[in-house]
Amino acid sequence: MNILVFVKQVADTEARILIKSDNKSLEIENKYNLNFFDEFAVEEAIRLKTKLKESKIIVCTCGGKKAIEALRTAIAMGADQAYLIDNTDMDTEDPLITAKILAGFAKKEGFDIILCGRQAIDDENGAIGPMVAEFLNIPHISAIMKLDVKDEKHMIVERDLEGARQTFEVELPALFTTQKGINEPRVPLITGVMKAMKANIPILDPLTLGFQKEELNNGASKIGVLFYETPKARPPVKIIDGETPQDKAKKLVKLLKEEAKVL
Amino acid sequence: MGKDICVFIECKEGKIRKTSFELLTKGRELTDKLSSNLLAVLIGDNVINLAEDIRPYAEKVIIIDGEVYKDYRWDTYTDALEFITKKYSPFLIIGASTITGKDLFPRLTARIGAAFISDATGIEIIDGELKVKKPIYGGKIISWVSPKSTDKVIITFRPNSFSIEKGNRTDEVIEEKINAVPDKRMHLVNITKGQSEKVDLQEADFIICGGRGMKDPENFKILEEIADIIGARVGASRAVVDSKWRDYEDQIGKSGKTVSPKLYIGCGVSGALHHTMGMDTSKVVVAINKDPNALIFQYADYGIVDDLFNVLPALKEELMAAKKEG
Repeated sequence: MNILVFVKQVADTEARILIKSDNKSLEIENKYNLNFFDEFAVEEAIRLKTKLKESKIIVCTCGGKKAIEALRTAIAMGADQAYLIDNTDMDTEDPLITAKILAGFAKKEGFDIILCGRQAIDDENGAIGPMVAEFLNIPHISAIMKLDVKDEKHMIVERDLEGARQTFEVELPALFTTQKGINEPRVPLITGVMKAMKANIPILDPLTLGFQKEELNNGASKIGVLFYETPKARPPVKIIDGETPQDKAKKLVKLLKEEAKVL
Repeated sequence: MGKDICVFIECKEGKIRKTSFELLTKGRELTDKLSSNLLAVLIGDNVINLAEDIRPYAEKVIIIDGEVYKDYRWDTYTDALEFITKKYSPFLIIGASTITGKDLFPRLTARIGAAFISDATGIEIIDGELKVKKPIYGGKIISWVSPKSTDKVIITFRPNSFSIEKGNRTDEVIEEKINAVPDKRMHLVNITKGQSEKVDLQEADFIICGGRGMKDPENFKILEEIADIIGARVGASRAVVDSKWRDYEDQIGKSGKTVSPKLYIGCGVSGALHHTMGMDTSKVVVAINKDPNALIFQYADYGIVDDLFNVLPALKEELMAAKKEG
C-alpha cells in the first residue's frame, strides 16, 4: 500500500519577515520548519504503516531546493522515501497549480491514501488537500481528528464540523487532511536523523509529470500579488491606573463604553 | 462574463449564520457599485422558510432544498454550486472562511477552474478590478491580491470582516431542483452534537480569553460568568488547551482559530506570538495581567496590571451594573 504524504516547508512563526522595497516581494529570515499541521500527517502515516501490511510512506513537497530540509525531517520521523518537486521556475502563488502538480505526482507514483496538513501556516490557504482530491477524483475528508483502519479498503475517520463530531467510513483511495489533536508528532531519534542525512532524495522537474510548461508558469497563475503592506500598528496601550482593582475595573468599563464604544 | 455576484449562505441550527449576513451586506454594496445582481444561494434540508431573511439583500434568492443536503458534505454541495455557477454565471462567488467554507471552496475551485483567494478580510472594486486583502504569515504581512485571469473568482472571507446592515429589497425567490447524488465512496455513519448552543468562536462579537495565568480549569467559571453578561464566548490559549483545561475548539492562535471580535479580553494571557497571530485583528483588545512586561500589552488598547483574581470579580460587577443601565 502506498501512503503519500504531502508536506510544505514554511517560515518559522518567529521568523522575521520584511517587505522588500518593490513592495511585491518578501525577505524572510532563514528559519524554516516542516509545516505544523503536516507533522500530524507524517505521524499519522507512520502509525498507519504499523496497521497495514506491506505499506510504504512516500513524502513529497512542491517547493524550492531548500525544502529538502523539511523532507529530511519527515524521513527522520520515519517516512521511507521522499521526493522534491522543484518549483523554482513555476508560478507558486496559485494553490491550484501546486495542487495540479501534486496530483500529477500522485498519479505517477500510485497511491492508496494521501495525507496532508489541513493548512500551511504561511499563506493559510488550506486549499491543497481538497483541490488534489478533486483533480484525482477521489473523496476527501478535511481536518480529521481520528483515523482507524476498518479493512484494507476502508478507513473510519472523525472530524469536527461546526460543533458536531462526524464519523465517516471512506473507501480507498482517499485523501485526508490532518488537524491538531489527531496524534502527538514524534521527535525524531538520532538514528532517524542519521538516516535522513544519508537519504537520497530525488529532485523532480514538474514537466516530467506530464504537464506543458504554459500550464505551470508565467501567466498560468490565476491570481497575482498587487503589493504587500504591514498591518496598521495599534496605538500604545493605555494602562489603566487606580487604587484598587475595583477602581481599575470601573475605569475600564467606562472607557469601553464611552471611548472605544464597544459595549 | 457578467458582473453578478453569488453569496453562499451557511446555516447553523436552523438559522442563517451571522457571517452570511456580513457577506450579504458586502455583496449588496459591491453589486450596487457594479450595477449588477446579487444572487444568494442557500442549500439545506427544509430551509425554504429562511428565504425571507435573505430576500432583503438579493435580486435572486436561490434555494436548493432536499433531504440529501441535510448535513453538509462537499460532494452534494459542490455539485449544487457547480450547477448554480453554470446556470447563473456569476463572475464572483463569495463564502465564509469557516470549516465548511474551507472544505467546500477549494474543491469547487478545482472543479470549475476558478481563481481562488481564501481567508480574506477585505475587498475593493476599483474600475471594475477586484483588490482583495488577505493577511498572511499569521497577520505579520497584509497581501493585496487580484485575480489575473478572466475565469470565475472564488473568495472566502474570515467571519467578522464586514459589518451587517439591513436590506430592503423584495425580489424573487427561486427554488432549484438538483439531483445531487452523494458520493458512494464515503458514508456518514455518525454525528455527535457538541456544545452547539454556543456561538462559533470565530463569529463571536466578544471574546474573553483565559491563559495559563488562570492557574486552574475551575477558574474559568468566572470567565463564563462574565461572558454570559456581555454575550461573549470564552476562548483559551494554547497552553490552556494543551493542559486539557479547555477544549481544542476554544483555542485561539496559530494552531487554533483566528478571531476578529469587536472586543477581546485576555486574562492571564502572556501574549506569545503564537497566540497574538490568532487575535491581532480584533478591533479592541484589553489585557489583564499582573506582569507589566507581558507581551500581550504590546497588542492591547487597554491594559490592567493587577492580579486577575481580584480584577475579574470587580469587572463582573461593573459589567453587570453597566448592563442594567443599558
